[in-house]
Amino acid sequence: MTRSSSQALFAMILIMIAAGLLVLNMGGFLSPVESMVLRPIGGAQSWLAVRFYAVRDLLASPADVATLRGQVRELQSQNAQLQQEIIGLQEQVAQAQVLSALVQYARSQPDSRYLAASVISRDVSPFIRSVWISAGSDDGVAKGMPVVTDLGLVGRVVEVFATVSRVELINDPSSVVNVRLQTSRADGALQPQLNGEIWVGMISQDAEVSPGEVVLTSGLGGNYPPDIPVGTLTSVRRRDYELFQQAVLQPSVDFHQLELVLVITNFQPLPFNQPGGP
Amino acid sequence: MAYIVGIPILLLLAVVQATVLSNMRLLDGTPDLILLAMVAWALTGRPRQAMAGALIGGLLIDMLSGLPLGATAIIMVIVIYLVSQTAGRFWEAHLLMPLTTVLWSSLLYHGLSLAVLLALGRTLNLGFALSRVILPSTFLNLILALPAAQAASGLAESLYPPEVQI
Repeated sequence: MTRSSSQALFAMILIMIAAGLLVLNMGGFLSPVESMVLRPIGGAQSWLAVRFYAVRDLLASPADVATLRGQVRELQSQNAQLQQEIIGLQEQVAQAQVLSALVQYARSQPDSRYLAASVISRDVSPFIRSVWISAGSDDGVAKGMPVVTDLGLVGRVVEVFATVSRVELINDPSSVVNVRLQTSRADGALQPQLNGEIWVGMISQDAEVSPGEVVLTSGLGGNYPPDIPVGTLTSVRRRDYELFQQAVLQPSVDFHQLELVLVITNFQPLPFNQPGGP
Repeated sequence: MAYIVGIPILLLLAVVQATVLSNMRLLDGTPDLILLAMVAWALTGRPRQAMAGALIGGLLIDMLSGLPLGATAIIMVIVIYLVSQTAGRFWEAHLLMPLTTVLWSSLLYHGLSLAVLLALGRTLNLGFALSRVILPSTFLNLILALPAAQAASGLAESLYPPEVQI
Protein backbone atom coordinates (compact mmCIF):
# COMPACT_ATOMS: atom_id res chain seq x y z
CA MET A 1 0.00 0.00 0.00
CA THR A 2 1.47 3.36 -1.01
CA ARG A 3 1.86 6.17 1.47
CA SER A 4 -0.77 8.22 -0.33
CA SER A 5 -3.42 5.49 -0.33
CA SER A 6 -2.64 4.69 3.30
CA GLN A 7 -3.33 8.34 4.18
CA ALA A 8 -6.56 8.27 2.18
CA LEU A 9 -7.65 5.14 4.04
CA PHE A 10 -6.82 6.77 7.38
CA ALA A 11 -8.79 9.88 6.40
CA MET A 12 -11.76 7.71 5.36
CA ILE A 13 -11.70 5.91 8.72
CA LEU A 14 -11.69 9.24 10.58
CA ILE A 15 -14.52 10.59 8.42
CA MET A 16 -16.54 7.45 9.09
CA ILE A 17 -15.95 7.85 12.84
CA ALA A 18 -17.11 11.49 12.62
CA ALA A 19 -20.13 10.48 10.50
CA GLY A 20 -21.00 7.78 13.05
CA LEU A 21 -20.85 10.37 15.83
CA LEU A 22 -22.99 12.70 13.71
CA VAL A 23 -25.69 10.03 13.36
CA LEU A 24 -25.54 9.15 17.05
CA ASN A 25 -25.77 12.84 17.96
CA MET A 26 -28.79 13.39 15.74
CA GLY A 27 -30.42 10.49 17.56
CA GLY A 28 -29.68 12.26 20.85
CA PHE A 29 -27.45 9.47 22.16
CA LEU A 30 -24.40 11.63 22.80
CA SER A 31 -25.89 14.24 25.12
CA PRO A 32 -24.50 12.60 28.29
CA VAL A 33 -21.03 12.40 26.73
CA GLU A 34 -21.23 16.03 25.59
CA SER A 35 -22.33 17.07 29.06
CA MET A 36 -19.38 15.21 30.56
CA VAL A 37 -16.88 16.84 28.17
CA LEU A 38 -18.44 20.29 28.42
CA ARG A 39 -18.35 20.31 32.22
CA PRO A 40 -14.60 21.02 32.51
CA ILE A 41 -14.61 23.10 29.32
CA GLY A 42 -17.46 25.23 30.69
CA GLY A 43 -15.48 25.74 33.90
CA ALA A 44 -12.43 26.82 31.92
CA GLN A 45 -14.58 29.15 29.81
CA SER A 46 -16.11 30.76 32.90
CA TRP A 47 -12.66 31.28 34.39
CA LEU A 48 -11.29 32.78 31.19
CA ALA A 49 -14.42 34.86 30.46
CA VAL A 50 -14.27 36.66 33.83
CA ARG A 51 -10.64 37.63 33.25
CA PHE A 52 -11.19 38.54 29.61
CA TYR A 53 -14.12 40.83 30.45
CA ALA A 54 -12.05 42.50 33.17
CA VAL A 55 -9.19 43.17 30.73
CA ARG A 56 -11.59 44.33 28.02
CA ASP A 57 -13.33 46.73 30.40
CA LEU A 58 -9.97 48.09 31.53
CA LEU A 59 -8.84 48.69 27.96
CA ALA A 60 -12.17 50.15 26.89
CA SER A 61 -12.51 52.55 29.84
CA PRO A 62 -10.82 55.66 28.31
CA ALA A 63 -13.18 55.56 25.35
CA ASP A 64 -16.09 55.01 27.71
CA VAL A 65 -15.28 58.16 29.69
CA ALA A 66 -15.69 60.38 26.63
CA THR A 67 -18.89 58.60 25.69
CA LEU A 68 -20.23 58.88 29.23
CA ARG A 69 -19.53 62.62 29.40
CA GLY A 70 -21.61 63.11 26.27
CA GLN A 71 -24.35 60.97 27.73
CA VAL A 72 -24.30 62.96 30.99
CA ARG A 73 -24.87 66.24 29.10
CA GLU A 74 -27.70 64.66 27.16
CA LEU A 75 -29.24 63.19 30.29
CA GLN A 76 -29.08 66.53 32.12
CA SER A 77 -31.21 68.16 29.44
CA GLN A 78 -33.61 65.22 29.50
CA ASN A 79 -33.74 65.45 33.28
CA ALA A 80 -35.01 69.03 33.16
CA GLN A 81 -37.72 67.99 30.74
CA LEU A 82 -38.68 64.98 32.82
CA GLN A 83 -39.06 67.08 35.97
CA GLN A 84 -41.95 68.81 34.24
CA GLU A 85 -43.56 65.54 33.40
CA ILE A 86 -43.15 64.15 36.92
CA ILE A 87 -45.66 66.62 38.31
CA GLY A 88 -48.30 65.42 35.90
CA LEU A 89 -47.42 61.79 36.41
CA GLN A 90 -47.67 62.00 40.19
CA GLU A 91 -51.36 62.55 39.76
CA GLN A 92 -51.61 59.43 37.66
CA VAL A 93 -49.61 57.36 40.16
CA ALA A 94 -52.43 57.36 42.65
CA GLN A 95 -54.77 55.96 40.02
CA ALA A 96 -52.17 53.45 38.88
CA GLN A 97 -51.69 52.15 42.40
CA VAL A 98 -55.35 51.28 42.61
CA LEU A 99 -55.22 49.61 39.21
CA SER A 100 -52.03 47.79 40.14
CA ALA A 101 -53.67 46.35 43.22
CA LEU A 102 -56.53 45.09 41.07
CA VAL A 103 -54.15 43.56 38.55
CA GLN A 104 -52.21 41.86 41.33
CA TYR A 105 -55.40 40.43 42.67
CA ALA A 106 -56.53 39.23 39.28
CA ARG A 107 -53.21 37.78 38.33
CA SER A 108 -53.43 34.04 38.48
CA GLN A 109 -49.95 33.33 37.19
CA PRO A 110 -47.14 33.57 39.72
CA ASP A 111 -44.36 36.05 38.98
CA SER A 112 -41.52 34.89 36.82
CA ARG A 113 -38.70 33.13 38.60
CA TYR A 114 -35.24 34.03 37.39
CA LEU A 115 -31.94 32.23 37.34
CA ALA A 116 -28.84 34.38 36.79
CA ALA A 117 -26.09 33.05 34.55
CA SER A 118 -22.89 34.41 33.07
CA VAL A 119 -22.27 34.52 29.34
CA ILE A 120 -19.15 32.42 29.01
CA SER A 121 -18.65 32.39 25.25
CA ARG A 122 -20.15 33.01 21.86
CA ASP A 123 -20.89 30.48 19.17
CA VAL A 124 -17.69 29.34 17.49
CA SER A 125 -19.47 29.30 14.14
CA PRO A 126 -19.68 32.85 12.81
CA PHE A 127 -22.86 31.92 10.93
CA ILE A 128 -24.83 31.20 14.10
CA ARG A 129 -25.76 33.94 16.58
CA SER A 130 -25.89 32.28 19.95
CA VAL A 131 -24.11 32.46 23.29
CA TRP A 132 -23.20 29.90 25.92
CA ILE A 133 -24.25 30.53 29.51
CA SER A 134 -22.90 29.07 32.73
CA ALA A 135 -26.10 27.31 33.79
CA GLY A 136 -27.41 23.96 32.65
CA SER A 137 -29.74 21.16 33.56
CA ASP A 138 -28.05 20.85 36.98
CA ASP A 139 -29.43 24.33 37.73
CA GLY A 140 -32.89 23.60 36.37
CA VAL A 141 -32.47 25.08 32.90
CA ALA A 142 -34.56 23.43 30.18
CA LYS A 143 -34.94 23.83 26.44
CA GLY A 144 -37.18 26.68 25.39
CA MET A 145 -36.76 28.81 28.49
CA PRO A 146 -36.66 32.53 27.67
CA VAL A 147 -33.54 34.49 28.51
CA VAL A 148 -33.63 38.18 29.39
CA THR A 149 -31.63 40.97 30.95
CA ASP A 150 -32.93 43.91 32.90
CA LEU A 151 -33.17 45.72 29.54
CA GLY A 152 -35.21 43.17 27.65
CA LEU A 153 -35.33 39.95 25.69
CA VAL A 154 -32.11 38.15 24.78
CA GLY A 155 -33.34 34.89 23.30
CA ARG A 156 -34.15 31.39 24.43
CA VAL A 157 -32.37 28.23 25.44
CA VAL A 158 -31.96 25.80 22.55
CA GLU A 159 -29.42 23.33 23.91
CA VAL A 160 -28.93 22.21 27.49
CA PHE A 161 -26.07 20.27 29.04
CA ALA A 162 -25.30 19.56 32.68
CA THR A 163 -23.48 22.79 33.47
CA VAL A 164 -23.84 24.96 30.36
CA SER A 165 -26.56 25.87 27.87
CA ARG A 166 -26.70 27.47 24.45
CA VAL A 167 -28.98 30.47 23.99
CA GLU A 168 -30.18 31.40 20.51
CA LEU A 169 -30.21 35.20 20.29
CA ILE A 170 -33.23 36.97 18.87
CA ASN A 171 -31.05 38.37 16.06
CA ASP A 172 -30.24 34.87 14.75
CA PRO A 173 -32.05 34.37 11.42
CA SER A 174 -33.54 31.12 12.75
CA SER A 175 -35.14 32.88 15.70
CA VAL A 176 -38.92 33.27 15.75
CA VAL A 177 -40.45 35.85 18.10
CA ASN A 178 -44.01 37.13 17.93
CA VAL A 179 -44.28 40.71 19.11
CA ARG A 180 -46.81 43.43 19.84
CA LEU A 181 -46.29 47.14 19.34
CA GLN A 182 -47.06 48.85 22.62
CA THR A 183 -48.85 51.97 21.40
CA SER A 184 -50.62 50.82 18.26
CA ARG A 185 -51.33 47.33 19.75
CA ALA A 186 -50.49 45.83 16.35
CA ASP A 187 -49.09 42.31 16.22
CA GLY A 188 -45.98 41.44 14.26
CA ALA A 189 -43.10 39.02 14.08
CA LEU A 190 -39.36 39.58 14.30
CA GLN A 191 -37.50 38.93 11.08
CA PRO A 192 -33.77 38.85 11.91
CA GLN A 193 -31.61 39.59 8.89
CA LEU A 194 -28.32 38.04 7.92
CA ASN A 195 -26.53 41.36 8.42
CA GLY A 196 -27.59 41.48 12.08
CA GLU A 197 -30.47 43.92 11.62
CA ILE A 198 -33.85 42.96 13.03
CA TRP A 199 -36.99 43.82 11.13
CA VAL A 200 -40.50 43.60 12.46
CA GLY A 201 -42.73 42.17 9.79
CA MET A 202 -46.33 41.00 9.47
CA ILE A 203 -47.65 44.32 10.78
CA SER A 204 -51.13 44.99 9.50
CA GLN A 205 -51.47 47.79 6.94
CA ASP A 206 -54.27 49.26 9.05
CA ALA A 207 -52.04 49.84 12.09
CA GLU A 208 -50.75 53.36 12.73
CA VAL A 209 -47.13 52.57 13.44
CA SER A 210 -44.48 55.20 14.05
CA PRO A 211 -40.76 55.23 14.86
CA GLY A 212 -39.96 55.22 18.55
CA GLU A 213 -42.72 52.80 19.36
CA VAL A 214 -41.80 50.20 21.98
CA VAL A 215 -41.95 46.55 20.94
CA LEU A 216 -42.89 43.82 23.41
CA THR A 217 -43.29 40.08 23.14
CA SER A 218 -46.92 39.18 22.44
CA GLY A 219 -46.91 35.69 23.90
CA LEU A 220 -48.56 34.35 20.76
CA GLY A 221 -47.23 30.97 19.70
CA GLY A 222 -46.29 30.10 23.24
CA ASN A 223 -42.53 30.50 22.76
CA TYR A 224 -42.13 33.52 25.02
CA PRO A 225 -44.14 35.04 27.85
CA PRO A 226 -45.92 38.27 26.90
CA ASP A 227 -44.81 41.82 27.62
CA ILE A 228 -41.03 41.41 27.69
CA PRO A 229 -39.42 44.50 26.10
CA VAL A 230 -37.68 43.67 22.83
CA GLY A 231 -36.67 47.11 21.56
CA THR A 232 -37.92 50.23 19.81
CA LEU A 233 -38.75 50.91 16.20
CA THR A 234 -36.30 53.16 14.38
CA SER A 235 -38.05 53.36 11.01
CA VAL A 236 -41.22 52.13 9.36
CA ARG A 237 -41.78 51.09 5.74
CA ARG A 238 -45.32 51.12 4.48
CA ARG A 239 -46.13 50.42 0.84
CA ASP A 240 -49.67 50.27 -0.40
CA TYR A 241 -49.03 47.34 -2.68
CA GLU A 242 -47.62 45.13 0.09
CA LEU A 243 -49.72 43.01 2.41
CA PHE A 244 -47.91 44.09 5.55
CA GLN A 245 -45.88 46.96 6.92
CA GLN A 246 -42.27 46.47 7.95
CA ALA A 247 -40.22 48.28 10.56
CA VAL A 248 -36.62 48.24 11.68
CA LEU A 249 -36.06 47.38 15.33
CA GLN A 250 -33.34 48.69 17.62
CA PRO A 251 -33.04 45.91 20.21
CA SER A 252 -33.05 47.03 23.82
CA VAL A 253 -30.20 44.60 24.56
CA ASP A 254 -26.69 45.10 23.19
CA PHE A 255 -25.80 41.56 22.17
CA HIS A 256 -22.08 42.38 21.95
CA GLN A 257 -21.93 43.44 25.59
CA LEU A 258 -23.79 40.55 27.18
CA GLU A 259 -22.12 39.39 30.36
CA LEU A 260 -24.93 38.39 32.71
CA VAL A 261 -28.38 37.15 31.77
CA LEU A 262 -31.49 35.89 33.52
CA VAL A 263 -33.22 32.66 32.55
CA ILE A 264 -36.96 32.61 33.23
CA THR A 265 -37.25 29.18 34.79
CA ASN A 266 -40.97 28.96 35.48
CA PHE A 267 -42.15 29.61 31.94
CA GLN A 268 -43.57 26.56 30.20
CA PRO A 269 -43.02 26.88 26.46
CA LEU A 270 -45.03 24.90 23.98
CA PRO A 271 -43.32 21.71 22.72
CA PHE A 272 -39.91 22.78 21.50
CA ASN A 273 -38.99 22.62 17.83
CA GLN A 274 -35.70 24.20 16.87
CA PRO A 275 -36.14 25.75 13.43
CA GLY A 276 -33.67 24.37 10.95
CA GLY A 277 -32.13 22.25 13.66
CA PRO A 278 -31.25 18.62 13.55
CA MET B 1 3.70 11.76 22.69
CA ALA B 2 2.20 14.19 20.17
CA TYR B 3 -1.33 13.22 21.27
CA ILE B 4 -0.53 13.79 24.96
CA VAL B 5 0.64 17.30 24.13
CA GLY B 6 -1.82 17.89 21.29
CA ILE B 7 -5.14 17.24 23.02
CA PRO B 8 -4.61 19.82 25.83
CA ILE B 9 -3.41 22.31 23.21
CA LEU B 10 -6.55 21.72 21.14
CA LEU B 11 -8.72 22.15 24.24
CA LEU B 12 -6.95 25.39 25.07
CA LEU B 13 -7.31 26.69 21.51
CA ALA B 14 -11.03 25.81 21.46
CA VAL B 15 -11.67 27.61 24.74
CA VAL B 16 -9.68 30.67 23.64
CA GLN B 17 -11.49 30.76 20.30
CA ALA B 18 -14.93 30.51 21.91
CA THR B 19 -14.34 32.85 24.83
CA VAL B 20 -11.83 35.46 23.71
CA LEU B 21 -11.58 35.54 19.92
CA SER B 22 -15.34 35.39 19.43
CA ASN B 23 -15.45 38.83 21.06
CA MET B 24 -12.67 40.22 18.84
CA ARG B 25 -14.20 40.09 15.40
CA LEU B 26 -13.22 41.65 12.12
CA LEU B 27 -16.69 42.34 10.70
CA ASP B 28 -18.17 38.93 11.61
CA GLY B 29 -15.01 36.93 11.03
CA THR B 30 -12.73 35.38 13.61
CA PRO B 31 -9.50 33.44 13.21
CA ASP B 32 -9.90 29.65 13.17
CA LEU B 33 -7.26 28.61 15.64
CA ILE B 34 -7.81 24.86 15.44
CA LEU B 35 -7.77 24.88 11.64
CA LEU B 36 -4.57 26.93 11.69
CA ALA B 37 -2.95 24.62 14.21
CA MET B 38 -3.79 21.48 12.24
CA VAL B 39 -2.75 22.96 8.89
CA ALA B 40 0.54 24.02 10.46
CA TRP B 41 1.01 20.55 11.96
CA ALA B 42 0.25 18.89 8.62
CA LEU B 43 2.91 21.10 7.02
CA THR B 44 5.51 19.70 9.42
CA GLY B 45 5.09 16.37 7.60
CA ARG B 46 2.88 14.48 10.08
CA PRO B 47 -0.38 14.08 8.17
CA ARG B 48 -1.85 11.25 10.26
CA GLN B 49 -1.41 13.13 13.50
CA ALA B 50 -2.83 16.26 11.87
CA MET B 51 -5.88 14.38 10.61
CA ALA B 52 -6.48 12.80 14.02
CA GLY B 53 -6.08 16.25 15.58
CA ALA B 54 -8.52 17.62 13.01
CA LEU B 55 -11.10 15.04 14.10
CA ILE B 56 -10.70 15.90 17.79
CA GLY B 57 -10.54 19.65 17.13
CA GLY B 58 -13.59 19.49 14.86
CA LEU B 59 -15.56 17.68 17.54
CA LEU B 60 -14.57 20.36 20.07
CA ILE B 61 -15.74 23.10 17.69
CA ASP B 62 -19.03 21.28 17.18
CA MET B 63 -19.55 21.06 20.93
CA LEU B 64 -18.98 24.81 21.28
CA SER B 65 -21.19 25.78 18.37
CA GLY B 66 -24.71 25.24 17.13
CA LEU B 67 -23.54 22.76 14.50
CA PRO B 68 -24.36 19.09 14.99
CA LEU B 69 -21.56 17.07 16.58
CA GLY B 70 -19.40 15.55 13.85
CA ALA B 71 -20.16 18.03 11.05
CA THR B 72 -17.09 20.23 11.52
CA ALA B 73 -15.01 17.16 12.32
CA ILE B 74 -15.75 15.71 8.86
CA ILE B 75 -14.98 19.04 7.19
CA MET B 76 -11.77 19.45 9.14
CA VAL B 77 -10.52 15.93 8.30
CA ILE B 78 -11.24 16.49 4.59
CA VAL B 79 -9.41 19.83 4.59
CA ILE B 80 -6.39 18.50 6.47
CA TYR B 81 -6.24 15.41 4.23
CA LEU B 82 -6.09 17.68 1.18
CA VAL B 83 -3.48 19.86 2.88
CA SER B 84 -1.36 16.80 3.61
CA GLN B 85 -1.59 15.76 -0.05
CA THR B 86 -0.14 19.03 -1.26
CA ALA B 87 2.31 19.63 1.58
CA GLY B 88 5.88 19.02 0.58
CA ARG B 89 5.06 18.65 -3.09
CA PHE B 90 5.17 22.26 -4.09
CA TRP B 91 7.86 24.74 -3.20
CA GLU B 92 9.08 22.48 -0.37
CA ALA B 93 9.67 24.68 2.67
CA HIS B 94 9.09 27.97 0.89
CA LEU B 95 7.83 30.88 2.98
CA LEU B 96 4.75 31.16 0.80
CA MET B 97 3.78 27.54 1.48
CA PRO B 98 1.97 28.14 4.80
CA LEU B 99 0.34 31.31 3.47
CA THR B 100 -0.97 29.68 0.31
CA THR B 101 -2.11 26.58 2.16
CA VAL B 102 -3.91 28.59 4.83
CA LEU B 103 -5.54 30.72 2.14
CA TRP B 104 -7.15 27.89 0.22
CA SER B 105 -7.77 25.67 3.25
CA SER B 106 -9.64 28.53 5.01
CA LEU B 107 -11.78 29.17 1.96
CA LEU B 108 -12.51 25.46 1.58
CA TYR B 109 -13.25 25.06 5.30
CA HIS B 110 -15.74 27.92 5.32
CA GLY B 111 -17.22 26.87 1.99
CA LEU B 112 -17.90 23.37 3.31
CA SER B 113 -19.26 24.81 6.58
CA LEU B 114 -21.68 26.93 4.56
CA ALA B 115 -22.76 23.87 2.58
CA VAL B 116 -23.47 21.98 5.82
CA LEU B 117 -25.52 24.88 7.20
CA LEU B 118 -27.48 25.13 3.96
CA ALA B 119 -28.08 21.37 4.09
CA LEU B 120 -29.40 21.81 7.63
CA GLY B 121 -31.94 24.29 6.32
CA ARG B 122 -30.47 27.52 7.67
CA THR B 123 -31.13 30.71 5.73
CA LEU B 124 -27.86 32.07 4.42
CA ASN B 125 -26.92 34.84 2.04
CA LEU B 126 -23.82 33.73 0.17
CA GLY B 127 -22.68 37.25 -0.70
CA PHE B 128 -23.07 38.36 2.89
CA ALA B 129 -21.33 35.25 4.20
CA LEU B 130 -18.43 35.81 1.81
CA SER B 131 -17.93 39.50 2.54
CA ARG B 132 -18.70 39.55 6.26
CA VAL B 133 -17.44 36.18 7.45
CA ILE B 134 -15.35 34.14 5.04
CA LEU B 135 -13.00 36.82 3.68
CA PRO B 136 -12.37 38.51 7.08
CA SER B 137 -11.79 35.11 8.71
CA THR B 138 -9.42 34.10 5.92
CA PHE B 139 -7.56 37.40 6.26
CA LEU B 140 -7.14 36.86 10.00
CA ASN B 141 -6.02 33.29 9.37
CA LEU B 142 -3.42 34.56 6.91
CA ILE B 143 -2.06 36.99 9.49
CA LEU B 144 -1.65 34.12 11.94
CA ALA B 145 -0.40 31.61 9.35
CA LEU B 146 3.32 32.28 9.73
CA PRO B 147 3.34 32.40 13.57
CA ALA B 148 1.31 29.17 13.59
CA ALA B 149 3.75 27.50 11.18
CA GLN B 150 6.70 28.65 13.30
CA ALA B 151 5.06 27.42 16.50
CA ALA B 152 4.22 24.05 14.95
CA SER B 153 7.73 23.71 13.59
CA GLY B 154 9.22 24.54 16.99
CA LEU B 155 6.92 22.08 18.75
CA ALA B 156 7.74 19.35 16.23
CA GLU B 157 11.46 19.87 16.77
CA SER B 158 11.10 19.68 20.54
CA LEU B 159 8.89 16.57 20.36
CA TYR B 160 10.90 14.86 17.64
CA PRO B 161 14.49 16.07 17.84
CA PRO B 162 16.42 15.28 14.65
CA GLU B 163 18.50 12.12 14.89
CA VAL B 164 22.23 12.67 14.75
CA GLN B 165 24.63 10.01 13.49
CA ILE B 166 27.82 9.72 15.48
